[in-house]
Amino acid sequence: MTEPASNMPAKSFGIRNMNALMFEADGKLNYHNMPELMWGINKKWMIHAQGFISNRQEGGFETEGGSLYAKYRFFSKDDLKSHFRMALYGRYSLNKADIHQQEIETMGHNTGYEAGFIATQLLHKVAISSSLSYEKALDNKPNYKFPITESNSALNYTLSVGKLMLPKVYTSYKQVNVNLMLELLGQRLNENKKSYLDIAPSVQFIINSQARIDLAYRQELYSSMIRTAPNGVILKFEYTFFNAFK
Amino acid sequence: MKKLLTIALLLCITTIANSQIIRAELTATGLTCSMCSKATYNQLISIPEVEKVEPDLNNTTFIIHFKSNTPVTISNLKKKVEDAGFAVGELIVLFKLDNQLAENNTSFVLDNITYKFIDTKSNILNGEVKLKILDKGYVVDKEYKKLANMSNQYPSYVGNNNIYHIKAL
Repeated sequence: MTEPASNMPAKSFGIRNMNALMFEADGKLNYHNMPELMWGINKKWMIHAQGFISNRQEGGFETEGGSLYAKYRFFSKDDLKSHFRMALYGRYSLNKADIHQQEIETMGHNTGYEAGFIATQLLHKVAISSSLSYEKALDNKPNYKFPITESNSALNYTLSVGKLMLPKVYTSYKQVNVNLMLELLGQRLNENKKSYLDIAPSVQFIINSQARIDLAYRQELYSSMIRTAPNGVILKFEYTFFNAFK
Repeated sequence: MKKLLTIALLLCITTIANSQIIRAELTATGLTCSMCSKATYNQLISIPEVEKVEPDLNNTTFIIHFKSNTPVTISNLKKKVEDAGFAVGELIVLFKLDNQLAENNTSFVLDNITYKFIDTKSNILNGEVKLKILDKGYVVDKEYKKLANMSNQYPSYVGNNNIYHIKAL
């Protein structure tokens, strides 16, 4: 779920659709749809624009907000079938939905921003990524002020390990690649020190070396904060148009 | 005029009319998966003078065939691999040469670009010959550092972006 430190190719364009089916404690199913456009400006910079659609609130599906995301890869050391990369990223999101939990999530729930650092190490078929970020929630304008009694900022951290399982030997770009990934995602609210830690195993299929399907399950391991629907299934589709811009 | 000729001879610079670059074998670094390889392939194939690219996914190597009678700009290959998000680990270029003297610190000019031999045994090269580009960004860091430490033998190697340093294989 976390972006790697690597960027998409320069002058390429990507589309992504993330679908999250999250289970509320009372059995209600929240569906979040997050369509996303991605642009590799050059080898160092990429930007994303994303929309947030969900049926979580009363009244069914609604476009609740959107965000802009930028990533700057500032360090890259490549060797044969290995690399180490570091990047800085930032996201600014708008959301007009009600504020319903202590967890801060600028992807689809809170208006606010996130600024972070991510490092990725690739060693042959294994990739390890870790990120650290600061996230700040603002008022969900126009109707919902962020409660002054709650912590409006948090530290997030992630650690993920992924491995290319198939094919064992490459013969063409048409072979389906299968990756397995395990990710830990944590948050700590700065003012009241409440925290959570989730685990998210996932399987990734890469088709024709150009399209990607991710299927993940996110499960809370522990939490001391109020969260509406931490557990659920995430299905992500992605397609890259290479050399889309001259 | 005579003076100029003497200088040219002293510097052992020759311009060869019938020479050309036929093919290149490029090993990209920093990638394993086929999506990364395809990103690199698509960048390389977008170079106007490139006719065909044959990828070897298991070794992250690309054999690049150039259009005949079209000048080849080596730096485009490096730029495109870097645009894909990766780096060049090795670049071997197949030149067609005509009785070219290969000796350390001697050079020749092809399509206004100077290629200078270093780390090479003295030889006369004729026909299709493989030459490895040794400049920074075209070899792995370890190899670059080793050659950079030999600056007393190859004074132009470090900090000279106008010429390519090559090794006859």
